[in-house]
Amino acid sequence: MGEARKRAKLRLGLWVFIALIVLTVVELWIAFAVPRPLLYLVVINLVDAWLIMEYFMHLSRMWRTEE
Amino acid sequence: MAHVGVRYDHTHTRRIGLWLFFLSEGFLFLALLSSRYYLLGLSRPQELNQALGLAITTVLLLSSLTAYRAETSILHGDQGMFLRNTLATILLGSLFLVGVGIEWAEAFLSFPPHTQFGTVFFTLTGMHGFHVLSGVVLLTFVYFHGKRGRFGETNTWPVEGVVKYWHFVDVVWVFIYPTLYLVSS
Repeated sequence: MGEARKRAKLRLGLWVFIALIVLTVVELWIAFAVPRPLLYLVVINLVDAWLIMEYFMHLSRMWRTEE
Repeated sequence: MAHVGVRYDHTHTRRIGLWLFFLSEGFLFLALLSSRYYLLGLSRPQELNQALGLAITTVLLLSSLTAYRAETSILHGDQGMFLRNTLATILLGSLFLVGVGIEWAEAFLSFPPHTQFGTVFFTLTGMHGFHVLSGVVLLTFVYFHGKRGRFGETNTWPVEGVVKYWHFVDVVWVFIYPTLYLVSS
């Protein structure tokens, strides 16, 4: 049970990492292919930050008093 | 005497304290990021090494994955995997700093610190690099304490705190990278 849970968490981490890499590549493409890319870049950055804070930093766990 | 045998778990308080620290650090970086737009608008120098910028961004994102794996491992009592991933995070963080060093060597020639872009570039990457360096030092402490078996399923806060700090450094870079390398008019 514990091992299965650990594997599931590790898999989730890998998917988050893949999502971050894909978003970075999209960001790079937008920067050079789209005129006035600032707004698109900001939106992608906010998604990036949310992914890291929610899945890697466990933001929503902050208010829990116990695990 | 009434408290004998009662153990209060401070983890909740520690987490809130750490997030408040991140919030205050966030304001610092927000001020530095906004200075880029105030001084330069949306202009982007052509001399920027885009390949290097992308490479160090990938390295830092990868280091966040290994840090996450280290934390997950120790939470499940897997000491070996925890040590391997902590060491990988330290190495990737150091590689990032080497990348920033190369970037600086090029930047000194293309846009020296006394130019407008140079001021913004060296301040942002320097301040962020200092945070990465401090993260590497903290991770090294965690690694050596972990090697002595100081952490386990019931004592994970030092690992969690340092790993969270590492992810925070990654979040900051997620905003610095496009601000310096990608934004244009």
